[in-house]
Amino acid sequence: MSTSDIDRRDFVVTGLAAGAAVGVLAATSGCSQATSMQVAAAGEGRLTLHAIDTYYGQTREGLIIDLSRLEGGEYKLIKSVETVKRGRTAEPLLEGKDVKVGRYELLMHLDDYFAHHKADLPTPQFLSTVAIRFGLYDANQKFHVPILFSPWSYSYYRGS
Amino acid sequence: MAGITTHVLDNEAGSPGAGMRIDFSVWENGAFKFVRTVHTNNDGRTDGMILKPPDTKVGRYELKFYVAEYYAKQGMDLPDPPFVETVPVRFSVFDTKQHYHVPMLCTPWTCTTYRGS
Repeated sequence: MSTSDIDRRDFVVTGLAAGAAVGVLAATSGCSQATSMQVAAAGEGRLTLHAIDTYYGQTREGLIIDLSRLEGGEYKLIKSVETVKRGRTAEPLLEGKDVKVGRYELLMHLDDYFAHHKADLPTPQFLSTVAIRFGLYDANQKFHVPILFSPWSYSYYRGS
Repeated sequence: MAGITTHVLDNEAGSPGAGMRIDFSVWENGAFKFVRTVHTNNDGRTDGMILKPPDTKVGRYELKFYVAEYYAKQGMDLPDPPFVETVPVRFSVFDTKQHYHVPMLCTPWTCTTYRGS
């Protein structure tokens, strides 16, 4: 893991210096997805999510997610969104100058979602509101955060 | 067996996550109240149960896993701030006669939790 981190960082530096041409090169030279997704020029950072419901097999309407950023020791709400089109959001959560290095939280209102769809679950539900926390450490990179969820489990990762 | 237990699996190393700090809290009067800190043993589990059956009540609990601290201790070069840092897993006990096993599967870039057995 450490070695690939170093490779990745070097590649980002190269990408920033040489501009978009490097991105094209990365796409055509068989670089791994994990590497090519990191290539971004200044101001091209973006934060997106994909909430994937593994209970129904497809994310339904009515999933509310609150995006917050840690400021002064507290997560402060930036915006609240409802997912559309199978768990994506209509717009990126953050892009351009709004992308700032920091610690973020996506609060998933799973209790309201599964109640809305009348899922047969115990009270209180095993999972109610789920806090997905992650660090955004480079404002010029694209951060895509897929979240797989059910009433009994969740998983998230840095996607591409 | 009832009560609350956990198990940390380091999916980066492919081994149990030994020595990871976990803060255990209970939801009381609208906030999580810190109860105690535990560390995982060599098997990635805790020496005692997180919460024994007689102490387990219907309600909401939090296990906060210090994932980045765990990887940093092993000399891993993590970004600042790390992508996965401290992971608060919040869940509810809805039947005190049942066992709640809540594992944490992690790498510096992913984490997964679920109701196990």
